[in-house]
Amino acid sequence: MSLVARNALIALFITIAISGTVAYAINYLNNARVSELSAIEEQLSIDSLSLETQFSLLESAPCDSNASSVTLTTELADFGNRLSYAENQLGSDNSQVIRLKERYSLLEIRDYLITKQLAQVCRTKPVTVLYFYSNAGDCADCDKAGYALSYLRDTYPALRVYSFDYNLDLGALKTFIAVTKVRSDLPAFIINGKHYYGFTSLEDLEKQFPKGALATTTATTTRL
Amino acid sequence: MSPEMLIYPFLFIAIFFESFVLVTLLSKPAREARSRMLNASTPSVAIVVPCWNEASTITATCDSLLALDYPKENLEIILVDDGSTDTTREAVLRFKEHPQIRIIHKENGGKHTALNAGIAITNAELVGCLDADSFVEPDALREIVSCFYNPQVVAATAAMSIHKPKNILQHMQNAEYTFGITLRHAFASINGLYVTPGPFSFYRREIVNTLGGFRYGHQTEDMEMALRIQRAGYEIENAPRARVYTKAPSTIAKLINQRTRWISGFLRNILGEYRDLIGNRNHGVLGMLVLPSAILSVASGILLFGLMLFLFARNTVTALEVREGIPLSYAFLPHGTLDWFYLPIGFYTLLAIIVLLTSIILIAIGRNISKTTGGIFIGLISYTFLYGLITPFWLFRAASDVAIGKRRSWRY
Repeated sequence: MSLVARNALIALFITIAISGTVAYAINYLNNARVSELSAIEEQLSIDSLSLETQFSLLESAPCDSNASSVTLTTELADFGNRLSYAENQLGSDNSQVIRLKERYSLLEIRDYLITKQLAQVCRTKPVTVLYFYSNAGDCADCDKAGYALSYLRDTYPALRVYSFDYNLDLGALKTFIAVTKVRSDLPAFIINGKHYYGFTSLEDLEKQFPKGALATTTATTTRL
Repeated sequence: MSPEMLIYPFLFIAIFFESFVLVTLLSKPAREARSRMLNASTPSVAIVVPCWNEASTITATCDSLLALDYPKENLEIILVDDGSTDTTREAVLRFKEHPQIRIIHKENGGKHTALNAGIAITNAELVGCLDADSFVEPDALREIVSCFYNPQVVAATAAMSIHKPKNILQHMQNAEYTFGITLRHAFASINGLYVTPGPFSFYRREIVNTLGGFRYGHQTEDMEMALRIQRAGYEIENAPRARVYTKAPSTIAKLINQRTRWISGFLRNILGEYRDLIGNRNHGVLGMLVLPSAILSVASGILLFGLMLFLFARNTVTALEVREGIPLSYAFLPHGTLDWFYLPIGFYTLLAIIVLLTSIILIAIGRNISKTTGGIFIGLISYTFLYGLITPFWLFRAASDVAIGKRRSWRY
């Protein structure tokens, strides 16, 4: 074998080794992301269950658990952000991503129900937004709507935004969609019980919020 | 398939190419070339300096040649004024009494005619060329001459750097030239060179005459001569410690003009008269790897830049659409947490980083084997961030010139 052929073979081997190592490293990183998400999801499950238990135990004074509720919602939002990033990295058809999205949706529904219960008992008026989207390519405005909601949530921390993939094959979510009577005309919003379809601008979306809700939500953060 | 997928094959080939260079550098022929001692023999040498309107640099170029550490009786310098219209004539005439220097004045006919005119009046065993805007280290000639100890070697090239780089563009070129030192050294060890650059390349005079002297070569006579030498089955060596410094374009426009000439000359030569060398096993690494890689690098430079532009435009439009109506303070300022989870590293980003880091290693190797002095830090920074942005312009311009048959003048 000539020197050039030998060198070319060695170079090819090195190239394959480098590419393989990079692929392994990226896969390792993605697996670590999924593991992190699983750990967060597990912790959120415990927190959520704990909050429900607290709620049952403190029937006489359930409003004492409000602080835990806010923390749970904040953690849920962080989990949502991470899940969204992981979905971009791994693809929306990744089985682990789908499993985590299902768990996330369940946690969201549970948190939404707790929030509603607390609001009734404690006579608070949290502003909640149920946001239904699709990333199956049939919702041109979903990215814009999602970003606008992220802005609103970051600007008004007391705003409770729950995002749901409309096409997720999950029994509880389908029931939730049926109960809330959301049409498949996406993006869809339910803002404090009022349905709103489509997205044109942030300004129009803000108009759908109860009067003064966005201005006062920050001030009521600590009371929720 | 997403457009990003198109990047992977090019990155794979780039890693293969750089790996090949590294392996070749560690191979026996390259190691022997690096350890080559200066040969005591001092054959007669003539250095031809073609000048066309080089009044500002010709004196310094001559002075550096006269300072060469070489027996004076075996070294002659031939200044060829190729019909200059500035004061080059007066500048070269200042050397007319010097015993080592011969001067030719002729009508302007192009660099190849000036070289041939110089070679025609000498009987030296070796003839070299030095562009009139270049300067050499005193030991450079001895380093070059040592290459000719091997009778199969008919040409030898030097190690080029930029003369006193001043602005960031020149520093970038300096890093690029240092990269070139490594590549030239590696490929010379397996006879894969296809250009004998104007600054301080040498030839056996007899072979140059046998091959018919220099030709126009689509404004790249040094490349055309190297390709002819390779086709004839001879070897081209490299002296990595033969230091030569050349002036570099100081503006982007001048740089693009210079490189357009080089690349269009390469494409015209290689896709024209020398097409048979491509993929030709008889020409070893030159035919099977170097020339195909060089053509691929031109194509990939254009394609990748186009792809990057497309992705950038697409992502920008999407980002603007998504952020429409959102206050600027939120939309365009970074927010979020510094967390490993959000590390923006993907498969092709990591491969691209590896390609870049390997390039930097190869530049460092070039600097080390040529014993180049001076800082390289600014060069590396500008090479990293600037080179990839400018290169596609001359690649595209050269390719389109060749495609539509447009020819540009030597000087712009």
